[in-house]
Amino acid sequence: MYFLVALGMSIISLCLFLFVKTKRNLHFEFLVFTFGAATLMWLIDCIAGAIEEGQFLSFELPLDIWISVWTVVGGIAFYLLLLLIFTIKDKKQKVVTE
Amino acid sequence: MACFTVTAATAIGVAVARHIVKHNEKKQEKMEITTTEVDTLKTSKKLGILEIALFGGSFLLAGEHVLHGEVTFTFPFLTAINEGTDAVKGMLFEMGTVGVGMTLAIVAVWGAALLVRKLLLKRKAKEVKE
Repeated sequence: MYFLVALGMSIISLCLFLFVKTKRNLHFEFLVFTFGAATLMWLIDCIAGAIEEGQFLSFELPLDIWISVWTVVGGIAFYLLLLLIFTIKDKKQKVVTE
Repeated sequence: MACFTVTAATAIGVAVARHIVKHNEKKQEKMEITTTEVDTLKTSKKLGILEIALFGGSFLLAGEHVLHGEVTFTFPFLTAINEGTDAVKGMLFEMGTVGVGMTLAIVAVWGAALLVRKLLLKRKAKEVKE
């Protein structure tokens, strides 16, 4: 289930990156890289599960709901952390160049 | 069980490589060595993209493993270690197959994206020349 959530988040972040071009300083590409990588990793996990157990997607409620919530919250938290680091870095560079 | 550790370890390796490359790039800038390459994206930035992807992916998967009870916050961190040699063997096998597969998939997608970008830039440069 969380694979599908990650895939959905990748598509949403890719749309944000492609269509919100006026806010380049928000670095939506970080969201694309994070969710894209997680989707790819869970895809490999699903393929391995399909080979071993013969089941591509499994639903273990309610644990899967918690993991799905973590996927969204964790991904956004990681993005905000990166955004903070890059904003501080950019400000420091501006001060040096001035 | 611990497949994300392979990606996390690769991310650390890429971070170290990026720092070394960045240091060399700064040296080249000081020596004013210019390249004739069409692609303006620096190698350190390209490695930075891979680093973010690897760290981001392993961060989300680490959370999933914690929720599954496969990773704990106390030593030895991986619950499989306390479950006997068979569990450890299974964990190592998973790291070698799924973990390495995940890392290779991310690196392959990153490499393919850079290759497509390079080809598009070359085509653009050709069109400008003509």
